[in-house]
Amino acid sequence: MPRYALTSEPRVCVEIVSAALACCTLELQAALGSGVLVESTELDASPSVIVIAGTVTDALVPSVMQLIRAHPGVKVMSFGACATSGGPYWDSPPVSKGIDQFVEVATYVAGCPPRPDAFIQAISDLACSEDA
Amino acid sequence: MNREFTWQQVEPDQWRIKVSELIDSGFFYFDFLTGVDRENIDGQSDCEVVAHLAKPDLSDSRIIFTQVKSELASIEDLAPASSWYERECAEMYGITFTGGDTRPLLRHEGLGRPPLRKSAVLAARVLTRWPGGAEPEIREDGRKVGNVSRRRQRPPGVPENWLTP
Amino acid sequence: MKHSFIALIEDKCTSCMLCVRECPAWCINLDSHTVEVTEEGARRPKKVNVLDSFDIDYSLCMYCGVCIDVCPFDALAWDEHRALTSTNREDMILGIADLRSSGNA
Repeated sequence: MPRYALTSEPRVCVEIVSAALACCTLELQAALGSGVLVESTELDASPSVIVIAGTVTDALVPSVMQLIRAHPGVKVMSFGACATSGGPYWDSPPVSKGIDQFVEVATYVAGCPPRPDAFIQAISDLACSEDA
Repeated sequence: MNREFTWQQVEPDQWRIKVSELIDSGFFYFDFLTGVDRENIDGQSDCEVVAHLAKPDLSDSRIIFTQVKSELASIEDLAPASSWYERECAEMYGITFTGGDTRPLLRHEGLGRPPLRKSAVLAARVLTRWPGGAEPEIREDGRKVGNVSRRRQRPPGVPENWLTP
Repeated sequence: MKHSFIALIEDKCTSCMLCVRECPAWCINLDSHTVEVTEEGARRPKKVNVLDSFDIDYSLCMYCGVCIDVCPFDALAWDEHRALTSTNREDMILGIADLRSSGNA
C-alpha cells in the first residue's frame, strides 16, 4: 500500500488503496500527484483508507467487497457521485445505487468527478479525525 | 477524413449477397455493424441493421442498412470481424443473427428486454419518486388543499400508464 | 466556472419547477405554495409562488449545469468551488441556506 503524508502536517500519515473503477480514478491520480500529499516512509501510518473511485456495477460488487475485506479496519471513502449513489447512472439496471448499501462508508466526496482539492480535504479530515 | 458516406438500403434477404458483392469488389475492410431502433418513427419495421465496409486504404466505403423484424442472416463467415458486432447487436437490440455466433457477450441471460430498445423502460425511473411531479401547492390555514396545475406530470422515459393499475 | 458549485439566488426563483424536471439525475427537490398578492392599483389579486424549500442532493448531482441553462430567471448560477465532503450522505443534501452564492463566481 502506498503511504502518504500531508505536506502541511507531515505527522499525519495515510495509507491509500485505490479501487480504480472508472473515470473518477483520473481525478484521484491528479490529487495524488498534486504535491499536497507526499510519499512517506513513516512506519506507524495511521488510518488506512480505501478509495472507491468510479461506477460500481452489481457484477463488480463482490470484487470490491473482497478488496475491502482484505484490509481489515480500513476506512472506506466513496469518491464521486457514482460510488455514492450511482450518479449519472442512477437509473441503469446493472449499476449499484451507492456502495453504502454494502459497506460502511467513512466519508463521501461529492462531484462528478470530485476535484482533487475535495479529495485532499476528505483525506485530511479523515486523518485528523483519527489523530484526535 | 472528411467525406460523404454512400448509404444504400438492402432488402433483408439480399443482406448476405450484398455483403459478398462488396467484399468481392474490394470493400473487404469490415468496419462496424450496429442496430438502430426505428420503433415509433416509421411505424413499420422494428429495427434497422447498419454495416460499414471500406476499402483497406479507406479511399472509399459503403454503408448498407436493412430493415429487420427480429432475424437477419449472419455475415460472420463472409466478414469474420462482424462476429463481435453481431453478438453485441443481438444482446442490445434483440436481433437474432441466424447462422452466427450466439454466445452472449456482456449481459447475463434473462436480464429482461434488450436495453437499447426504446421499449426497454428503466424500472428505476418508475420506482423512484420523481421530484418533478410536484407543483406549487394551494394552501388554506397552512394545509394543502390543491395544486396549481391539475395536469399530471410524467417523468421522462416512462410511458403513460406503465406499471399503474 | 465549470464543475464548481451550483448556487441558488432565492429571490429570483419563481418555483416554476423547470430545473427539477430537466435534471437528469433527479437530484433537485423543490417545495412551494401560492399566495394571493394585491398590488396597489391592481383590480384583482394575483397568484404568486412562494418558495418553501429547495434542495440539491450533491451526492447525486453530476454538475452538468442543465438546471442553470434551463432557468428562465437566472436563479441558479455557477459559483465558487466548494469541496463537498461529508461523513453522512444526508448532509450532502443542501438546502436554501447552504446554496447561497458566495459572491465570488
